[in-house]
Amino acid sequence: MSASEILNGLIHGDLPRSAEVFGPEIVLCLTVVALLLLRLFSLDRSVPPYVVALFGSLVAFTGVLAQFVYFTTFGGEVGGTPLGMGETLFKLFLLTPEGAGTAGGIFTGLLMHDAFTLFFRLGLTFFLVLVVALTVLTGIPDNEDGPDFYTLLVGSTIGMLVATTANHLLMLFLGVEMMSVPSYVMVGFLKGRRSSSEAALKYVVYGAGTAGVMLYGISLLAGLMGTADFAELGPRLAYLVEGEGVGLSNPNIVASLLAVMMVLVGLAFKLSLVPFHFWCPDAFEGAPAEVGGYLSVASKAAAFALLVRFLLAVTGGQGESLASLNLYIGIALGAIAAVSMTFGNLAAYSQTNVKRLLAYSTIAHAGYMLMAVSAMMVIVNAPASSGWSPARIQVEAARCLEGLMYYLAVYLFMNLAAFAIVALIRNQTFSEEIKDYNGLAHHSGTMTLLCVCMGIALFSLIGLPPFGGFFAKMMIFASVLNAGSIHWTMWALLAIGGLNTIFSVFYYMRVLKAMFIAPRPEESRTLAVPGILGAYVLVITLPILLTGASPLQNNLSATAHYVASVLFP
Amino acid sequence: MCGETAVKPRFTHMPLEQYIYTGTVLKWLLGLAWLLPLVGFAIEIFGGAWGKRLDPVAGGRKLRLAGYLAVFCIGTGFLLSLTALVVWKGGTGVALMPTAEAVSHGDHAAPDGGEHGSDDHAVDHGEHAGHDGSGDKPQQATEGDARGQSPAAEAHGHGEADAHQEGGGHEAHANDPYAAAFSGTYYELARFGNLRLTIDYYIDGLTVLMFCMVTLIATCIHIFAIGYMSDELTEDYEDHFVHLSGGRHFHRPGRFYRFFAFMSLFCFSMLGLVIAGNIFQVFVFWELVGICSYLLIGFYVERHSASTAANKAFIMNRVGDFGFLIGLMILWTYFGTFQFANVSPAGSPDAANGPGLFQMVRDSRGDLQVEETADEQVVMLQGSGSADDTSSPRSIPYWLLVAAGVGIFGGCIGKSAQFPLQPWLPDAMEGPTPVSALVHSATMVAAGVYLAGRFYPMFTPEVLLVIAYVGCITLFIGATIAIVATDIKRVLAYSTISQLGYMMLALGVGGWAAGIYHLITHAFFKSLMFLCSGSVIHGCHHEQEMTRMGGLYKKMPITCGAMLVGVVAISGLAFWIPLAGLTGLSGFYSKDAIVASSLAFMAGNPNHFLLFLVPLVTAGITAFYMFRLWFMTFAGQPRDQHVYDHAHESPRVMTTPLIILSVFAVGCAWFGVLENWILTSEPAHVAAGLTSAYHVLLTMPSHHAIHAMHHTAGTAALIAAVTGALLSAVFYWKGLVDPESVRKPFAGVHHFLVEKWEFDNLYDVMFVRPVHVVASWCTAFDKYVLDGILHLLSRLTVATSAWDRKFDETVVDGLVNLLGNTTYGVGRSLQVVQTGRLRQYVMFIVVGVLGLFVLLIMFFPRA
Repeated sequence: MSASEILNGLIHGDLPRSAEVFGPEIVLCLTVVALLLLRLFSLDRSVPPYVVALFGSLVAFTGVLAQFVYFTTFGGEVGGTPLGMGETLFKLFLLTPEGAGTAGGIFTGLLMHDAFTLFFRLGLTFFLVLVVALTVLTGIPDNEDGPDFYTLLVGSTIGMLVATTANHLLMLFLGVEMMSVPSYVMVGFLKGRRSSSEAALKYVVYGAGTAGVMLYGISLLAGLMGTADFAELGPRLAYLVEGEGVGLSNPNIVASLLAVMMVLVGLAFKLSLVPFHFWCPDAFEGAPAEVGGYLSVASKAAAFALLVRFLLAVTGGQGESLASLNLYIGIALGAIAAVSMTFGNLAAYSQTNVKRLLAYSTIAHAGYMLMAVSAMMVIVNAPASSGWSPARIQVEAARCLEGLMYYLAVYLFMNLAAFAIVALIRNQTFSEEIKDYNGLAHHSGTMTLLCVCMGIALFSLIGLPPFGGFFAKMMIFASVLNAGSIHWTMWALLAIGGLNTIFSVFYYMRVLKAMFIAPRPEESRTLAVPGILGAYVLVITLPILLTGASPLQNNLSATAHYVASVLFP
Repeated sequence: MCGETAVKPRFTHMPLEQYIYTGTVLKWLLGLAWLLPLVGFAIEIFGGAWGKRLDPVAGGRKLRLAGYLAVFCIGTGFLLSLTALVVWKGGTGVALMPTAEAVSHGDHAAPDGGEHGSDDHAVDHGEHAGHDGSGDKPQQATEGDARGQSPAAEAHGHGEADAHQEGGGHEAHANDPYAAAFSGTYYELARFGNLRLTIDYYIDGLTVLMFCMVTLIATCIHIFAIGYMSDELTEDYEDHFVHLSGGRHFHRPGRFYRFFAFMSLFCFSMLGLVIAGNIFQVFVFWELVGICSYLLIGFYVERHSASTAANKAFIMNRVGDFGFLIGLMILWTYFGTFQFANVSPAGSPDAANGPGLFQMVRDSRGDLQVEETADEQVVMLQGSGSADDTSSPRSIPYWLLVAAGVGIFGGCIGKSAQFPLQPWLPDAMEGPTPVSALVHSATMVAAGVYLAGRFYPMFTPEVLLVIAYVGCITLFIGATIAIVATDIKRVLAYSTISQLGYMMLALGVGGWAAGIYHLITHAFFKSLMFLCSGSVIHGCHHEQEMTRMGGLYKKMPITCGAMLVGVVAISGLAFWIPLAGLTGLSGFYSKDAIVASSLAFMAGNPNHFLLFLVPLVTAGITAFYMFRLWFMTFAGQPRDQHVYDHAHESPRVMTTPLIILSVFAVGCAWFGVLENWILTSEPAHVAAGLTSAYHVLLTMPSHHAIHAMHHTAGTAALIAAVTGALLSAVFYWKGLVDPESVRKPFAGVHHFLVEKWEFDNLYDVMFVRPVHVVASWCTAFDKYVLDGILHLLSRLTVATSAWDRKFDETVVDGLVNLLGNTTYGVGRSLQVVQTGRLRQYVMFIVVGVLGLFVLLIMFFPRA
């Protein structure tokens, strides 16, 4: 096959459709280029870089939104009539029924296009818009550094988008690296601060190490299977492990277990799961709070999408041996989840720095979310002896993912709100220590609003009704409870999860206690927070309430359920 | 009260279009009248608070607007209610004035009406014909009596044959309350299974009447309050009743706007209670008026007495509401609906909702269908258990229906301050006087009576007997305490309790219309008297003790005259007026009706003679203490020169409402309009009465029977009232007998009465102190046991996390450090950044991966 043939094949076959689906990412790439050109021609004095970044991310978000609406109304499994309002939007982004309207691989199957990826891409681009808006408000990159910062931010988001859509082991690695490398720099963005640079360096070294491990795993896996395509992975793995018994006497089992584990290590690093979490507190403490908020949500969401995709690829085959191997992996993930949340919650207790505290909290939350993945693995690979019918397995597994996605959606708002408020308070008090939060709620006006919103965010993180966090946690716990009838360890996991929820109350409350109950220090000056900041925080806090006890809750969970069920045809 | 001599409105069901049209207009007219005060409340409370914050100086002065807004809202409500009355009357074709045509309908009105055809009064007010002085009517009345007895003799329940035999006569007399009613749903709040929680409306003559009465009185009182509360307009209000240390008084900003906001909220709640179409909605607004009452009693919250009184009122009402809730549960379980009655004809929008409570429990003639099963009596429910509604049972055990009735009545006991929950009402006088006038005499406390009247079809004879005795006890207790009270407002409060007792008694002995009648007339004259007392208190600079008043008629003539009107009205006095015959103020007619009902009841049930004697004697006591109040306040010589010197007549904004209310207190019962109006809503089974049925040996008097007693009862009541008034004049006006000399021999009784029958002390010993003891146990348990466990838990958590941290820092880090130190220790000091730590991190990756793998292998399930 000559090069021209390949080129021809690309142009006449896959490329138009791929480009159409990949449009929003291309817009982001163009944004990066524009930002760099801005710096090159010194235009950044007349055109503020954040304008470019905000514009680009908004266009990308609109593009994904158009695709999502188009997909769920035109293409996919749901039939329907064209939406009057969306018509122009669809035309604008050149959406076609064969292109964005059809689920399936793009770029010859390297990337995947379906409701699941659309859901995550939608969330990520939306989050990018929010973060850019936040950085504009807090002014963390000054005009000088603006192009650099936004280049990194947008670039890292492209990486995450690639990671969520990856359908190939190489794309998996590429995605993880693309989202990691810019974030290393962003963590060290406060160049003047030693702690920031130190944190960045730790992050880099740690990231590089785990990337190496993951690459090992990938090469091992690809070598064993003779393919790196997710679609092929499952059947070949099944073929490989079948026949020679399930035990450790089967060398193929040991090898594939090792390979899968090593790939998971790379993802565990991104998810800051114990024992690959060491970078997390240091990086979050050193990085600006805005970056912390961005990393804690976006890279986690992308990594979870990737994790689910990868695990489903591994389970894709038929056969008892493969199922029992995967069941075992699911239980191991449950153990990791249990350790992560317990460690995160306990370690958070003795922190004095709010960002560090939130870092440990993100570790714990990664644990909660991993519970859903673990339950999904257990359910999907339920042995025949458990008596679960295939239809039930389908429904319940989809429910696990529904919980995970709902949790991520709520987590987006509550964690961003918490970090944003930390950043805004830092701009006023120049401190991120809990003791300096004393009596903040007794300041008048917007500061009180910030404190109230912080209260809502933290209550939601604890998982108290009627906030969104409660419902998200409830969905996941319900799935784990269901999975318990397949393997008892899930019930143990549920018990540990419940206990952890109680633990977590203590340290979140410490922040709120400082804010609301502790008296305002005598010598404190009056803090005047501009109203626009309050408005921003209110806008990102409101969804916490809306995803809680409100009619929207039903809509969102129905969407999540639809998206999740796509993965289990 | 003989309803059938007064003209009975007879009408057929109106055509469908007319029903829908009239119903829709009424729904929105009354709905608007109901919601306007809520809008007013929102504007007043927020506008007041913000206006004050924005502009502390001018904002305070602008607050007078709040008063005007409140008056506007409730005044518009009154106009809307009047419009609704016109629409309702036109739409249903009800005749409120006794006309010649209408007279011919009432077969029984003929003899009396003919007798007194030349006499205006007889036509105006047929049933009072018997009082026309001459007293030679008994022979005529016997005919009515005989005919009255025969429908009364109809057996209920099993007496099917009898019922058919007498069916024609029965039908002719029975009122059809649904013919002039409109029901439907404003909004469905939620639906749980087949439980619908809705905002319904049920509009009949009683609803419209209550709307007119409440809005009219409230408008008058709001106007009065603008004057009365004007001292709250200042930015620096000094509360003379709150003593701080150092002999100073408490200072606070005025709360003018807040007062009117609460008043508006109250009006909204009260109107909501009246328009409610289901018992659950009644309960919601029941609680809302409760909270308004709480807020208004505690308006001067800094006064200890006020806040205590507010709590007392609130808590005592909750006791009653407990019964209410139990009643609700029983009703829901057995009926599956809360709606009163669904009168929508087929084809109208709300027709599909199925029958309401009243329609289920009583058949079309208004009888209960009682059947004996093996071990209990059950009441068969009408219209339930059809094919599409299999969930609700077909019958309810008789005793549960009794329990539900008593439970609902429990709520009425609390709200209407009936025995044994009456002690809160006198204390509620701590609120500003307009509040006492509106909330604690005219409307809210009457809500209990209103509900008892509205819910009348659900009450079995046993429940009615309970109601009658509770009312009887209450009216006596209230009246006796009022004799010795010296605080002008407290006298009125006890009088209110006593009058509410009269209403309950009337309902209980089968005089449905009499009870409601008294409710309306009482509302007018009691609100009038309270406003007068407010005027006196205002004029005397917050002096409330009658022992320091006297001779005020010179200083405040308008108030004095208005108060006299109220006193005469409540005492039930009547005068011989040429051409008009024996004419009384409004209270005369309604009290007459009550006494006649109870006399008729006694005639049927000789065992319950107390139900007649006590109200009769109390009628005398009523006249006595009311005239005592008037004489002590206005007549004679000033007892306290200082108070007298500073007293002054109130401004016109306060006296005008007095005059308006006086007019109504005098004449609202004339011409028979009010009574006819009430009778349009009378439940179907009341007119015919009841002979002993089921297992109760109790008869209920029919309209005929009651009418027959009118001469006797009316004369007796009038004699009692005149005696009381004369005695009072002897004691307190002419001073012929010194009250002291009478008091001495009865010192014990006097003390007992001054101590309010020892109720407060009794409850203190019975409930308050035991609760305190139990509360202290609970506190101790909470403090030592629960808190101990909690502290232990939190300490454990802290310890665990500290241990965890220590482990992390010493063991893990130590291990790593040891490894790192020994391996890389040499070069570390040379590094600018702590690369040593970095290398450990990388080591950790390796250790982590290897450790994980080893663990995975270790725990791998053996095949």
